[in-house]
Amino acid sequence: MAVGLILFGILVMAFAMVAAKRLSALIFGFRAQSFFLFMLTFILAWRENSTQLYIVTTMLFAVKVVLVPNFLQKVARRIKADEDLGLSVNPTVSMSAAVLLSYMAYLFTGKIVSIPGEFENSALFISLSATMIGTFLMITRMKALAQILGLLVMENGIFLAAASVSGGMPFIVEIAIFFDILLVVIILGIFVFKINRLFTHIDVDKLTELKG
Amino acid sequence: MQIFAILLIPLALSGIAVLPGKTRSFGVFNAAGHFINAVLAVWLSLDLLRTREAAAYLGFFYADLLSAFFILTISVINFIAALYSIGYISSDVRDSTMSERKAKAYYALFNLFTLTMLSVPVVSNLGMVWVAIEMTTLVSAFLVGFYNRKESIEAAWKYIIICSVGITLALFGTILFYYTASRDGGVSSLNWTDMAAVAGDLNPSILKVAFLFIVVGYGTKAGFVPMHTWLPDAHSQALAPISALLSGVLLPTAVYAIIRFATVINICIGTSYTGNLFMFFGLMSLGISAGLVLVQRDIKRLLAYSSVENIGIISIGLGFGGTFAIAGALFHVFNHAAAKSLMFFAAGRAVKKYNSHSIRDIRGMISAMPFAGTMLIVGAFALTGMPPFSAFFSEIMIIISGFTGGFLFQSSLLLFFMAVVFCAMIHNISRSVFGEKPSGMAAEGEPLSGKLAFGILMLIICTAGIVAPGFFKELLTAASEIIRGA
Repeated sequence: MAVGLILFGILVMAFAMVAAKRLSALIFGFRAQSFFLFMLTFILAWRENSTQLYIVTTMLFAVKVVLVPNFLQKVARRIKADEDLGLSVNPTVSMSAAVLLSYMAYLFTGKIVSIPGEFENSALFISLSATMIGTFLMITRMKALAQILGLLVMENGIFLAAASVSGGMPFIVEIAIFFDILLVVIILGIFVFKINRLFTHIDVDKLTELKG
Repeated sequence: MQIFAILLIPLALSGIAVLPGKTRSFGVFNAAGHFINAVLAVWLSLDLLRTREAAAYLGFFYADLLSAFFILTISVINFIAALYSIGYISSDVRDSTMSERKAKAYYALFNLFTLTMLSVPVVSNLGMVWVAIEMTTLVSAFLVGFYNRKESIEAAWKYIIICSVGITLALFGTILFYYTASRDGGVSSLNWTDMAAVAGDLNPSILKVAFLFIVVGYGTKAGFVPMHTWLPDAHSQALAPISALLSGVLLPTAVYAIIRFATVINICIGTSYTGNLFMFFGLMSLGISAGLVLVQRDIKRLLAYSSVENIGIISIGLGFGGTFAIAGALFHVFNHAAAKSLMFFAAGRAVKKYNSHSIRDIRGMISAMPFAGTMLIVGAFALTGMPPFSAFFSEIMIIISGFTGGFLFQSSLLLFFMAVVFCAMIHNISRSVFGEKPSGMAAEGEPLSGKLAFGILMLIICTAGIVAPGFFKELLTAASEIIRGA
């Protein structure tokens, strides 16, 4: 029951991020989604009573709930990023598209990869929805920082699949992936600074020097 | 044990690069280090060929003959790029396009980049392969955006964003793989050797879905059309030695990752599923890039699209299956890396001298810079598969096995597109090489390190098809046996 509610929370946060019109709302949405993910892995770790899963849970909390959102907020403040997200698709259409994507994910998990177990099935459905919604955010949000958040939502979806469906990846791989996420975000942050300095904006749709 | 040395040398070099000292002398030292790496790679291949057993250490590092082939290709191209960097970076420092500090950063990043590429084929675990490939993106993004100009930062941003999305999809595929391996196969491990042992028990429909994610995900990094959009930007903005590495060896490392998954699937459901996907993406990449090569006006983008084309040829070779076709595809990885490096080096010299990327502006290279001009036109013939150059032999291997294997339609298309690319490439490159040089431009020779780098590449592309050393042929055959799962 509790697990079902948490899964639902992850999906709701993905939708909330689609509806968000402001950068701070987007970062909050990611933090909340990561927190639900943290609760879920904590329950899984507690059930299996595995030290490795506890370590993964702690790292999830440190990286995705604290470090990454804080870093992104700091970057946004430092470059005085415009709060407006530059939606190329308006919120109503975005919402409808997100609902459609989730429905497709639902069909996909039900028909094509049928996995036994109710929890596994809904976890895979929600992870696939989050991944697709993340991709959608990356395509339709024109601010460099919003694209980073889209990537992170995708990553959250993938993590959900790894944790719930396959019972966690091998330990060393999990750790390496966390390290990797942290590094991606920091490096993308550095490039946001560079774009801001050279172009005096972070609108990705105005990066049009290269053609052909 | 050679693989530890192969990884430690670039790691140590990247540390030494930032120590105080002259960048030029470090450049020589750097090239020497990568020469040792290339020798070690040959030694590793010889060792593995003798024992015919994969070398595995600590349950983490792993090298079989397929890895050895990739290690060999990567380290040879690394060495030549390091050699070429000496002259390229010194001349940048001399005309103050680059500060001494920046040059040090270049060498540190160069070595980190080579380290991440070399770590892809030496780990035993599909999860770590994923991490290593993501690291190659992160490090090379700095090398793409190295000059901090508007265009280069834009290219770096696109590169890192598009490839990260791709690689995230590949991770999803990896998880599905792991799921069926642990539930149906009963092995909680991402090692392909463990998975291959239980491949018969895996769930075919999950494997098929997983492989789609893998091909699209890693295919983004490999430059398959339609996920190739980052590639021309990144390759045209990077420094010339880095363009050579990106195009010659980075793209094939992503193909290597796809191959490792494909071998497991082939054992479970036969080769036709993966083969068809390889052929589909190969032909699509080949066809679209053939058109784009024809209309390019920017010399480095021209070469970038030619990389997409060659990845297409390699993928078609893998799709045809059969030892001969796969050996041809692997041989083409090597030949393409050598010929493309040659062309990127020559084009890089031209871009610097004429201060423009446009084929319209670069004219009369043969009189303005006779050495590089000659190399560029010879490289164009070598790259498009004219005899006696080595790419001719690898392409003919693929085409013959296509026709004999019953893939008449695909092989005919392959021949047709290769002919289009040949005409387009020679047409565009000859406009730059011949003609009148701009008035008032003085002729310029090539620095010694550049001459050496060109010379070695020339030697490789002229001889590899005809008098390749015996161990190299054995290596190709053994590697293609591994891919077929024999």
